Amino acid sequence: MTAVPARSSEWVRPVTSQEPASVIIEIDHVSQVFQTSARKDHVALSDISLSIEEGAFVSILGPSGCGKSTLLYIVGGFVSPTSGAARMKGQAITGPGPDRGPVFQEFALFPWKTVLGNVMYGPRQQGVRAAEAEAQSRALIEMVGLKGFENFYPKELSGGMKQRVALARTLAYHPEVLLMDEPFGALDAHTRTRLQNDLLNIWERDRKTVLFVTHSVDEAVFLSDKVVMMSKSPGRIREVIDIDLPRPRRRNELLLDPRYQKYVVDIERMFDESDEAGPAS
Amino acid sequence: MLACIGLLAVWQVASLVLKNDSFPTAIEAIRAIPDILGDKESLINILASLRRMALGFCVAVLVSIPLGLLMGRSRSVAAFFNPLLMVIYPVPKAALMPIIMLWLGVGDVTKTLVIFLGVSLPVIYHSFEGAKAVEEKMLWSGAAMGLSPAQRLVRIVLPAALPEILTGCRTGLVLALITMITSEMIARQSGAGNILFNALDMGQYDTVFAMIIIVGAMGICFDAIFERVRARLVRWSEPQFDLPLSFS
Ligand SMILES: Nc1ncnc2c1ncn2[C@@H]1O[C@H](COP(=O)(O)OP(=O)(O)OP(=O)(O)O)[C@@H](O)[C@H]1O
Ligand SMILES: [Mg+2]
Repeated sequence: MTAVPARSSEWVRPVTSQEPASVIIEIDHVSQVFQTSARKDHVALSDISLSIEEGAFVSILGPSGCGKSTLLYIVGGFVSPTSGAARMKGQAITGPGPDRGPVFQEFALFPWKTVLGNVMYGPRQQGVRAAEAEAQSRALIEMVGLKGFENFYPKELSGGMKQRVALARTLAYHPEVLLMDEPFGALDAHTRTRLQNDLLNIWERDRKTVLFVTHSVDEAVFLSDKVVMMSKSPGRIREVIDIDLPRPRRRNELLLDPRYQKYVVDIERMFDESDEAGPAS
Repeated sequence: MLACIGLLAVWQVASLVLKNDSFPTAIEAIRAIPDILGDKESLINILASLRRMALGFCVAVLVSIPLGLLMGRSRSVAAFFNPLLMVIYPVPKAALMPIIMLWLGVGDVTKTLVIFLGVSLPVIYHSFEGAKAVEEKMLWSGAAMGLSPAQRLVRIVLPAALPEILTGCRTGLVLALITMITSEMIARQSGAGNILFNALDMGQYDTVFAMIIIVGAMGICFDAIFERVRARLVRWSEPQFDLPLSFS
């Protein structure tokens, strides 16, 4: 267990770009080949290399089936790559751990636990005392805007609320890296925008490293420091684009910002090209 | 409840119309119930039956749930036990009784064992299916929080599969009652099934029908109690549109 006090300073760390950024996650020539039922090997990821700096918000963007989820699962330690390696702070990733917190598109909440029970689960598992875990969890639930729903069961929540719980549940055990797999993909446009704003607020306060999978270009540009464009069949990194937009970002200002618009248009064009490329022969 | 009264009424009318010696009226049968329950020996017999049933059921549930869950989450465990269970599954457990009697006699052990076998299979099967259906991402979430594989089995697979497991247990409970009676019909020495068949041999038809009512009532009671417990335990999974706790 890591020391807790060290972390509290992260909450108040000023947003500075001068800090020397250290690499927290390294993806080193990772390939993933799946045996399919057609008895043909399917190359989901081909020779992916990527470094992610500590405290960065990195989006992985690409067409459906290009291996975004697979890449995230490898960093999470849920899937081991066919070849190559992923490292966290220089240590090879061999399995899941509380230093990397996943937020799945399917929510994957524990349906037999209430909202509070779900959020408390991680801290309790880490040995935090019940009273303390509860207090922290209640604060987190309030932060994601679910005050008053502590005793609801997941089935009694809407999709957007479930997604908030999933985020709070993962934040509750203080992972150093958040791994988010299209967390807002299933939501309506309005809820999606709200959650994006909330996530940005949380992140700007907390500055965790975030690896964020999406196939929405605006979402990627709006949230990220860096957008990793992938292409399909086989899954490859096509381009890494630094998003040089000021923070804190406000949606209403950003949408009018020509720089933002240019990023979106450029990346969208690239996206179309990589989609048209189709399966390699 | 209404259905029971209706059934008794139909019975009463039918028996009055048929006027058959071996078909007592409902009222005669019901009158015989206090005689049976008042008789010390019959009562001891019935209680002994229930004890075997409870023991067989509990041991079966305690063994079958872990086995079923392990089978559902581990391919090698499933590969080992599946063929075995597939062979046992379609065999009526009562048909195994002669062999078991040969080895273990006609006492409690044999009858309890048969009940155990009868209960095990549906519980294993439902636990297996329930465990298989547990969403992988839920287990991954647990793993990321630092749960070991054993902890994931107990703290994620078990609760997630609980609705399915309890469905199996409910089937198992009814089967426990059925195998209890069947086992006592085959190894006639004591128990509720024995009272029933002794009365049949002696032509005491009101006792026969009274026993049927008693056994039937026990079945209905057990099932109702179990259903209440089940509904409480898995309230979180029950489809409903009310707010929580708003139904009694
Ligand atoms: N367990 C598996 N077995 C076989 N093939 C798989 C498996 N998991 C993924 N694949 C294949 O690998 C490829 C990449 O899958 P992945 O889920 O990573 O894509 P994705 O980029 O996340 O897509 P989406 O945006 O639709 O979620 C797909 O072509 C898929 O068919
Ligand atoms: Mg995906």
